[in-house]
Amino acid sequence: MSEPRGKSSTCTQFRYALPCDLAEVPSARQAVRRFLNEQGLHEEELAACELALAEACNNAIQNVRHDGSVRPIEITILCTSSKVEISVNDHTPGFDWPEQIELPSAESERGRGLFFIHSFMDTARYYRGRNENSLVMSKMRCHQEHRQSSSAAASIAEVQERLEETQQALSEMARELCFRTESLSAIFRCSTGLGRSNNLPDFSQQLLNDLLHITSADWFVLRNVRESGEELTTLVVSAGFDGAQQPLSIAKPSPIAEVQAAITRRDVVFGPHRPLVADDPLVNKAGGAGMVRPILAGGNLVGTLAVGRALSNEPFTPPQAKVIQTFADFLGIQLVNARLQEEQLSTRLLGHELDIAQNIQRSLLPRSLPQLRHFGVAGYCESARQVGGDFYDVLQLSDNSLLLVVADVMGKGVPAALFAAILHSLVRALPEWTQRPAEMLARLNWHMYDELSAVDMFVTAQIVLINAKKNQMTVASAGHCPVLLAQAGTPGLKRIAPEGMPLGILPTTQFIEEVCELRSPCRVLLHTDGLTEAPDVTASTRAQHRLERWLQQSLARERSAAQLRDELAKELRKAQASMPLKDDQTFLIVAENQLEDAGIG
Amino acid sequence: MKLVDKGDVLTVTDVTELGANNSDAFRDEVKAALPNGFKTVEIDLSETNFIDSCGLGALIAIQKFATSRDGTVAVRLLHPLPPVQQLFELTRLHRIFEIVPRAA
Repeated sequence: MSEPRGKSSTCTQFRYALPCDLAEVPSARQAVRRFLNEQGLHEEELAACELALAEACNNAIQNVRHDGSVRPIEITILCTSSKVEISVNDHTPGFDWPEQIELPSAESERGRGLFFIHSFMDTARYYRGRNENSLVMSKMRCHQEHRQSSSAAASIAEVQERLEETQQALSEMARELCFRTESLSAIFRCSTGLGRSNNLPDFSQQLLNDLLHITSADWFVLRNVRESGEELTTLVVSAGFDGAQQPLSIAKPSPIAEVQAAITRRDVVFGPHRPLVADDPLVNKAGGAGMVRPILAGGNLVGTLAVGRALSNEPFTPPQAKVIQTFADFLGIQLVNARLQEEQLSTRLLGHELDIAQNIQRSLLPRSLPQLRHFGVAGYCESARQVGGDFYDVLQLSDNSLLLVVADVMGKGVPAALFAAILHSLVRALPEWTQRPAEMLARLNWHMYDELSAVDMFVTAQIVLINAKKNQMTVASAGHCPVLLAQAGTPGLKRIAPEGMPLGILPTTQFIEEVCELRSPCRVLLHTDGLTEAPDVTASTRAQHRLERWLQQSLARERSAAQLRDELAKELRKAQASMPLKDDQTFLIVAENQLEDAGIG
Repeated sequence: MKLVDKGDVLTVTDVTELGANNSDAFRDEVKAALPNGFKTVEIDLSETNFIDSCGLGALIAIQKFATSRDGTVAVRLLHPLPPVQQLFELTRLHRIFEIVPRAA
């Protein structure tokens, strides 16, 4: 019945035909035990295999549902130096192998057979066919005894083989350990370097050169995502790597490896089995293999890291890929940090720039204003946070004449403040050339046109010349809002806005002058549009009416220019209420009356 | 297998194997002997080299049968060999049987 055959040092086979009868099972068990004992199995392994075999045979026999000529059960044992495989092949209807094998309750008299097979063998697979089923069980050999028998030579060879295997495993482990230590120390080295320098490209270059060394790679390309989120731009590439300098659009899918990694947020591995497309910037003439890792931070894509080999087609091993992933994740944190630092810096710079602009603007305003007998002048300028282009000035031309200038440079920050400064100097120099407001504006335009038009800026201004002797004023305007005049004997307010283009629009332009008689008492208001600025036209018109009404009604009160300035400033602040100032508010107010003015601007 | 009548105690000896092939007979014989006024059944497992799941089932059936008779008959398993003891522990049956261990 038994039939051992083909005994060699690698694999031994044993076959046994078991009649379909429980009484025959002990003989089969004993025959198998004898065979396995000869193969050097340890007692525990023998007992385990014997029990599993018995349970398998019992099951096969007990599942026969019909009597008659049932074919014998075929038992096959395969034994190698490391493993025993037992197959029990029956010709019965079979049974359903349960998905989960659990220990039945203590009272149950049945159901422990599969549990034993499951417990004592390492694997058990049941293949169920049509009236033919096969249960294949295997057990790894742990307690191998090499008996001093005729097979001593084979045993020595086996020992040597195992020794070599162990040595190989040990050296693999040592290599792995070295590899991990190197990766860690590279990261630590670079982290220390990062504290000393804020230069992200240099830092990345250094870190990635280490990565090339650790993973036996030849090149890398590190890109980051632009603010728009639609483009990858190159941050650093390894020395000698050509190409990959052009930005890559990630707005829509593409077969380009870096774009794929960025869009799918998964690693893209390339090599001979999955070549890069011809127009991929990572394509290397010599071939090669590599991978692209998307760099994520807080769930957002911040960049991609491509690492590859130029001369070898060998893909990265799983530990190497893991190190590349770790480095990429680490770089992700650094990329985000660098971006945050940059943002902070630019916010600080912007704040600094606005401070400069405000300082320039403040320095342009005269500390005190010249006054004429019977004509008092007071000025007011309140800067909005982001604007620095308003200014006013008052020049005394003679005992009887004053020149009043109010200007508004359209623009923000330092550039606007600089133009205001230029305008200020020019205005101070103008009276030497001419004392006519229209000519003055023409001259200012002539001087400033080139600079203003080069940066697409322009200036609105108005110049008022007050002649106290003649009780006249001459007004010229370069696109500025009207001069307001309220005086005795006139029911309404007069708006004086002679035609004129803002400065910086046309290279040469003419301005018109308008002359008005002044009757005592009178109020003249030069202002910028910031005074009546409002969120919409209706509100702006209302503000304009309020301003004009206030000026008209001020005639009834005997007030100095300084008092009127303070009153109007209070009105403006009241109207402004809680809203932040959007535009500068600047005005010059002239009060003609018999009061002696303090004359402080 | 041998059944020995020792007055109050029925001792079962000479059990070398308890597998699917003989467990039913073993169970039935012991059960048949029980109603004869024994207070204790001792099953000597000191020579039992092999027990499978059917063998365990037979022991459980005897235990159940003995305790169902007004709880008067105690079942005791004597001196099981280490592999058999291991099976009792693996299946947690050592908790429901009174097992007398082998002398150290």
